[in-house]
Amino acid sequence: MTEHEPEKLNVAPGTPHDSLASETTFYVIGLALALLLTGVSFWVASTSSLWGPGIAVGLVVLAIAQMGVHLVFFLHITSGPDNTNNVLALAFGVLIVFLVMIGTIWIMSHMDANMMPDPALMNLQMQH
Amino acid sequence: MLGKLTWDAIPFDEPIPLLTSAVVILAILGIAAWVWRKGWWPYVWNEYITSTDHKHIGIMYIVLALLMLARGFADAIMMRAQQSLAIGASQGYLPPEHYNQIFSAHGTIMIFFVAMPFVIGFMNFVVPLQLGVRDVAFPTMNNVSFWLTASGALLVNLSLFIGEFARTGWLAFPPLSELEFSPGVGVDYYLVALQISGVGTVLTAVNFVTTILKTRAPGMSYMRMPIFCWTSLASNLLILAAFPVLTVSLALLMLDRYLGFHFFTNDGGGNSMLYMNLIWIWGHPEVYILVLPAFGIFSEVAATFSGKPLFGYRSMVFATLAICIISFMVWLHHFFTMGAGANINAIFGIASMIIGVPTGVKIYNWLFTMYGGRVRFTVPMYYLIGFMLTFVLGGLTGVLLAIPPVDFVVHNSLFLVAHFHHVIIGGVVFAIMAGYTYWFPKAFGFMLDERLGKAIFWCWFIGFHLAFMPLYVLGLWGGTRRMQHISDPTWAPWLNVALVGAVIIGLGIALTVVQLLYSIKTRDQRRDITGDPWDGRTLEWLTLSPPPHYNFAVLPDVHGEEAYWTRKQTAIKEDRLIDEPDYKPIEMPINSPTGVICAFFASVCGFAVIWHIWWLAILGLIGAFAIFVWYAWQDEHEHVIPVEEVRANARERRRIRMEHLHELSQST
Amino acid sequence: MTAAEAPAIGLTHGGSEDTGLGHRGPESKSIVVPYGFWLFVLSDIVLFSALFATYATLADATDGGPTSYELFDRTLVAIETMALLLSSFVCGLAMIAAKRGSMMWTQVWLVLTGLLGVVFIYIEMHEFAGMIAEGAGPQRSAFLSSFFTLVGCHGAHVTAGLMWLGTMMAQIWTKGFKEHIMRRLLCFSVFWHALDIIWVAIFTIVYLIGTLP
Repeated sequence: MTEHEPEKLNVAPGTPHDSLASETTFYVIGLALALLLTGVSFWVASTSSLWGPGIAVGLVVLAIAQMGVHLVFFLHITSGPDNTNNVLALAFGVLIVFLVMIGTIWIMSHMDANMMPDPALMNLQMQH
Repeated sequence: MLGKLTWDAIPFDEPIPLLTSAVVILAILGIAAWVWRKGWWPYVWNEYITSTDHKHIGIMYIVLALLMLARGFADAIMMRAQQSLAIGASQGYLPPEHYNQIFSAHGTIMIFFVAMPFVIGFMNFVVPLQLGVRDVAFPTMNNVSFWLTASGALLVNLSLFIGEFARTGWLAFPPLSELEFSPGVGVDYYLVALQISGVGTVLTAVNFVTTILKTRAPGMSYMRMPIFCWTSLASNLLILAAFPVLTVSLALLMLDRYLGFHFFTNDGGGNSMLYMNLIWIWGHPEVYILVLPAFGIFSEVAATFSGKPLFGYRSMVFATLAICIISFMVWLHHFFTMGAGANINAIFGIASMIIGVPTGVKIYNWLFTMYGGRVRFTVPMYYLIGFMLTFVLGGLTGVLLAIPPVDFVVHNSLFLVAHFHHVIIGGVVFAIMAGYTYWFPKAFGFMLDERLGKAIFWCWFIGFHLAFMPLYVLGLWGGTRRMQHISDPTWAPWLNVALVGAVIIGLGIALTVVQLLYSIKTRDQRRDITGDPWDGRTLEWLTLSPPPHYNFAVLPDVHGEEAYWTRKQTAIKEDRLIDEPDYKPIEMPINSPTGVICAFFASVCGFAVIWHIWWLAILGLIGAFAIFVWYAWQDEHEHVIPVEEVRANARERRRIRMEHLHELSQST
Repeated sequence: MTAAEAPAIGLTHGGSEDTGLGHRGPESKSIVVPYGFWLFVLSDIVLFSALFATYATLADATDGGPTSYELFDRTLVAIETMALLLSSFVCGLAMIAAKRGSMMWTQVWLVLTGLLGVVFIYIEMHEFAGMIAEGAGPQRSAFLSSFFTLVGCHGAHVTAGLMWLGTMMAQIWTKGFKEHIMRRLLCFSVFWHALDIIWVAIFTIVYLIGTLP
């Protein structure tokens, strides 16, 4: 791809490339992978043959995999030098998403743990 | 028909807002009439209101900011007066319901409609020139961004005249800001205004990150960009990342208030602490959004007025990016006392101290830039030195606050108020004043009066210290923020000193207006003939002042760091300019009314939402969408500037530069 | 700092030595516009992350009211997921056809994209209406507020996308495959694929993890 386009140091995110057959095949592979991963997700969520606490983790991993399939096969995000800015922007976005979500969950769960118990459960008269 | 809007909305029974509104409305009408009498409206419409020129959009942002500074400062001096008067038995002249609106408006206006527009205005004006290109990546969207910001400012100011403003402080914490405790329209004004202007700000960020990463002059690699462009990049990345969280926080509160949702309510399972968490995820990066470009301005000023390249360019770049990333990891320090516990507090406290390190690197770099250079004590250099003295102390009080046990004592006290004014005024305001003086000649073709400039600096420097140093003391003595009445009479002398300081700052602001008018009147004595009045080092000084619409006749080739300086030195040494290039016709974007019309409908929609006039809100929304579709249906978005015009302007510039060059070569 | 070599040649585009990425001058609009849009999409994803964070915090705040177990139907969600995924795929086919200038196939695939999107929205509205009718509306509890807002915000984006799609189809029909139309179509497809990415997170976290036994 980059051989017959030596000047291409920049590619717009989402730009298609190559012949009709190969481009279509690319999308079909993406669809097939996405369908597979989605199917597995639904199965994992309803099966009893996996260890309980691991299921949520497994589902998150599968979700990330599905997102990866979308990014590569539908959005054409690659690791080539023409895509560096797109990947960097994506990495920055992912970092922020991670900080916002994990940060919030971590902080709010701690706050929740430190809340005063229900007054009915406390013998307020015993507090000095 | 008109929702909640009735004649009661107009404050006939409150003399201060009534009088102020009357004066402001008359002033606006008066100025509009004067402009019309002079026949200037076509010029204003074509050159500014519908302009897609980044330079003119930048100027509009700064005009907006200066107007809002007057309003925000008026709020400040009212608060100072109240606190000096309402001690002991006296209740002052502002009842609590009114005082609470004033401090809320003061904060909201200063952050969102003074500091942000100033910083964005400078980035608008300077970045494309420094990058050696003709405009930003999306010029029409740039215009839209400005007008959406102006729409937000309009709504906030409208609340003075119709209705009321929020009484919740500038961040509108629930449950106070929920419908149960703030049933009036005040919080709605706040929410709607910020959501509208927030859209504009995010669009600005998209524009500038794209411009800086994808459109630069030939040869300008990342490590050859001026530091102001690096800090603008970092700031806009922060806007992109942080403003969506603000949008969500405010939207959730709006859903609570308008549709009875239970995000932050006391009942229904709501969690008001979640709001604090979300809004500070935005709030902390916000202050870095403001201060990073300020650091960038000082980098330019330091290099130019020391006659040396900036010391430690690479470390500056890395420090900027480090601050950018770490600023997203410290937000909990705004609510250490809310109960996350010692472990979380410790981690965020340490992160908050770590973020001081890259800033320290920058301070050393500025110092070493000055060291060994030939320092010229111009007005911008005054601000640089003032900044280094002031901001460092303010930053140190920040490091104090970063220690959770200390923060437990002084959280939300006057100590905190003193700290953030210390860094914002010492950092952002001083940078703005330096940038204003520094780039004014580029924008308008003549310099500002230097003596008045220095007087203004001293007003700010002395006034700030008098106004805020006493607050540190009072904070340590237990003084809380936002107090309408002071019960301890021993605080009176401190508060009176603070009032004097505020008055001196006011003098500084008044002198700024005087300086502008006087400089305009005597502009012929201070013309910037060459376009390079300060012996600058970056590409904006290559053009004449003001630059032509298209900035450069031909995009400059960049061959090293300090693109303009090296080229200038070569020209001086060889006593000749570069060979005349091949001029070509230039395509530039046309003007567009999309921005002002879209913002008009956004304002209508916003006002209608605030007052629950649903049919009007829908009409406004349709209008805003329709103008956008109309714009998208146009096929012609550009016009061509003929090569004769380009050539004529360029030759004039070369002729002037040649004359100047001969003078310089003769003197060396 | 490298010493400056006196540029004896004139100032023209692309006259400088290549010093790495982005030094041939400003990129063309075909690069610049989609990149700017990509940045906007990323900011939108951050917006959703804040909504996800809110949902995660309030997922248990049911205030004694209905929980996810009582409300969510995985079969319906599976159908919605298929619809949106196929819609994304078909949108990709539309891009392939547009790149080759085929008006008929482009419009066919775009119509299919839209129809599948409408199916998705229909099912979602049906689900919302049902929940509201049985007293499990967004005003019932914080959990429901955050559910309706997160999923509803995604649905609002899909709806806005459908309106955009309609406009794009009209513009392609009347103006053909001009460069600026192609740029906008590319931006639309980026938007549409990104919405499917968000949906992956929603069905996983809200509907699957939210109803694990």
